Amino acid sequence: MAAELAMAAILVVAASALLVGLTLRIVLYARTPAPLPLATTPAPTGRVGAALRVGREIVLFPSLWGADKPLWLAAMLFHLGLALVLARHLRYVIEIPPAWVVALQGPGQLGGILMMAGLVLLGLRRTLIRRVRKISRPTDYGWLLLLLLIGGSGLAMTYRWHTDIIGLKAFLAGLWRLDLVPLPGDPALIAHMVLAAALIALLPVSKLLHGFALVFSPSRASPDSTRLGERRHG
Amino acid sequence: MAYEIDGKVIEHDEEGYLTDIAQWSEPLGGVIATKEGLAMTPEHWEVVNFLREYYAEYQIAPAIRVLTKALTKRMGAEKASNKYLYDLFPYGPAKQACKIAGLPKPTGCV
Amino acid sequence: MADFVPPPLWPEIGLEPVPSPEDGLMAACRPFVAAPAHNQALGFPGELVEDWETRAVARLGELLAGNRALRVYLDACVGCGACADKCHFFLGTGDANNMPVARQNLLRAVYCRHFTPAGRLLGPLAGAGRLDRARLDSWYGYFHQCSQCRRCSVFCPMGIDTAELSMAAREIMNSIGLGQKYCNEIIGKVYAIGNNLGLPPPALADTLEGLEEDVRDESGHDVRFPLDVRGAEVLLVTPSADFFAEPHVDGLIGYAKVFHQAGLSWTLSSYASEAANFGLFIGSVEQMRKIALRIRAAALDLGVKRIVFGECGHAWRVAHAFLEELAGPFDFLDPRYPRPQHIAEITADLIRTGGIRLDPDANAGMVVTLHDSCNVARASRMGDEPGGQFTLPREIVRAAVPRFVEMHPDTTHDRTFCCGGGGGLLTDDLIELRIKGARPRMQALKQVVEQDGVTHLCALCAICKSQFTKVLPAYGFDREMMVSLHQLVGQAIRLGTSSL
Ligand code: SF4
Ligand code: SF4
Ligand code: SF4
Repeated sequence: MAAELAMAAILVVAASALLVGLTLRIVLYARTPAPLPLATTPAPTGRVGAALRVGREIVLFPSLWGADKPLWLAAMLFHLGLALVLARHLRYVIEIPPAWVVALQGPGQLGGILMMAGLVLLGLRRTLIRRVRKISRPTDYGWLLLLLLIGGSGLAMTYRWHTDIIGLKAFLAGLWRLDLVPLPGDPALIAHMVLAAALIALLPVSKLLHGFALVFSPSRASPDSTRLGERRHG
Repeated sequence: MAYEIDGKVIEHDEEGYLTDIAQWSEPLGGVIATKEGLAMTPEHWEVVNFLREYYAEYQIAPAIRVLTKALTKRMGAEKASNKYLYDLFPYGPAKQACKIAGLPKPTGCV
Repeated sequence: MADFVPPPLWPEIGLEPVPSPEDGLMAACRPFVAAPAHNQALGFPGELVEDWETRAVARLGELLAGNRALRVYLDACVGCGACADKCHFFLGTGDANNMPVARQNLLRAVYCRHFTPAGRLLGPLAGAGRLDRARLDSWYGYFHQCSQCRRCSVFCPMGIDTAELSMAAREIMNSIGLGQKYCNEIIGKVYAIGNNLGLPPPALADTLEGLEEDVRDESGHDVRFPLDVRGAEVLLVTPSADFFAEPHVDGLIGYAKVFHQAGLSWTLSSYASEAANFGLFIGSVEQMRKIALRIRAAALDLGVKRIVFGECGHAWRVAHAFLEELAGPFDFLDPRYPRPQHIAEITADLIRTGGIRLDPDANAGMVVTLHDSCNVARASRMGDEPGGQFTLPREIVRAAVPRFVEMHPDTTHDRTFCCGGGGGLLTDDLIELRIKGARPRMQALKQVVEQDGVTHLCALCAICKSQFTKVLPAYGFDREMMVSLHQLVGQAIRLGTSSL
């Protein structure tokens, strides 16, 4: 049971690091004053409009679309794929998955491929385009590699070395009850889980936090609402 | 950073404007002009002298428009253009002529 | 002092290809350092303090605690490079550090080193680095190669605005006694004399009298240029360049004619004789506030009902977005009007309602294109609708001239390229940078000159106008192509005739 204990510890530490880290970050952002409105204009004039603007940025990446279409495509492939994959993974942590999670199993598999395709494109871009290579830090490659490994091990289990899903579910369900249940010992699964845990734990202190940062990004999130006075001009 | 004239050393800033405008003299104006690559003609002096007169009254160099107007009044219509002044002082009449006249550089969004 | 001569523009139609980034091309480019007297007049240490590294890091900590934008922007960059080819200074110089993300990283390195776990642990692997002398030098160089135009922020998927980081870096440098001469000397002049130019009140009065004379001679109408008139309806705050430079003065004449024809009583103030607020450029909220408070004081003193801003890009940003926060509340002004207002809003409205009539034939032969000044385009608004900052000036130009032409869509509206002289860079010691930075705009201009026969370039920002007047000849254009928005209005407006 030593392996199970270690894995349980890793998962608990990772989840707590994520929760605590993310909460601290969000509180820090929310608490840091933003005395001056800094919207990049044209911007919506009300709070609701500004929130919609941020929502659109998070879902559709319109700024990136305007900046660089191939990059938009790579980013979209990766993020969309990741979203599908995460949805698919819900069935491992929810005992009796709802119908939509079940329905997403097929698209989830496709998601894995999209995500890997996106990562490969992002990696190629980072290494092949001189501009992007010049601004890349070692950690930028590190994150890409980590994600590739996680995705790769996941795909390997889907298509090649099938793992004992029932056993995995039992292990995870056991964790909720603070009960150690044997974990299938496949190397691909162990690697996948350890790497994913590392990613989760590091998320709050990494650039991968950017989705949350975007919510607080003043150029997108603040409305252009400082105008006072009635709407008369002449 | 200094001009030398008759064995005297006269300080200027990074761009060649006099540190102490009281130290200006006509020969010094000539020295500055040479450094700027300009051969002073009576037309140049006319502008420089007007700048100094205006400065003495208002503690600032005149606007280009004021300058062209004054020159027209004194010297006739062909002096009434921006182009005429740029021909005399290619680096911009306000800045280059001020430097030669020993006046501080006009600052701001100009 | 010979100007830098740029290589000829790209012969093809369209925008130039993106250069391949090289290191250090512009490493030697740095503006003059402020003298002790310039720094001290603003309350900064006169010279670089001894323990500058410690104090700079401490100041960065204070700024992080007080400005959410700074913290979020330093954290959120994913290094995607979407911004890398969006900066006119990168496009014009090819220097790798002028890619916005690279510029940010100069500051981000120090942030990582001192304020993030990754940077403390991994050091250079995470892009972290000390603020040593070499880095301080690169800060001084490259944060003064950013015109704070916000173009990069339009394209960044996180909305990261490099301008914010440039401002923060300049504020930190000021706090350790490393100020820039151009900005600090000018702010000192605002405190001592009232405007960037150092134009004393008697000189201002004389200039305005001269303008009244000129307009009377030229138009036969008694258009006034009132100064310090108590009880006027409108206080006009305009960049002091409008009193001094060409074609700025022609814009001022345009404002006066609009007020005259609309029958609005107005005044300038000798105390607040400057719209520009260079406190923004050096990232100092305190300096910005001090300058803005002069406008409040003048408005109260003169008892005006409305405050209207003349043509100045960053001034309109400060006015539109920050004025209430900096110097408010402006509850003493007439609540029926926006507080403050832009002169273009007034003019556009008068054109719509028939309060003034423009005759485009007065500008016969002109084919005009419009440079959207970046601070107006990306940091403010005019009118009620988002985007009014684009439509209103265009309405005015169209009404004033026979033919209006747009430049390449990647260079207008919120994608406009900076003139290359904004953000406190409009100084002779940066002339090479200014000429190179103007290149993308010049390329777009060349296209409409060749294809559409454009004769004039119109702008509504004092810095843009001065910058273009200076750089147009370097690219083979005529200096006199540059016109003020309200110059076009002033030339086309029908004075006197009843407009009803
Ligand atoms: S704000 Fe403008 S000048 Fe500064 S980095 Fe961004 S694009 Fe370049
Ligand atoms: S576009 Fe934004 S996130 Fe991407 S590299 Fe530039 S600053 Fe960073
Ligand atoms: S000077 Fe004009 S174009 Fe350049 S920074 Fe300002 S508003 Fe922008």
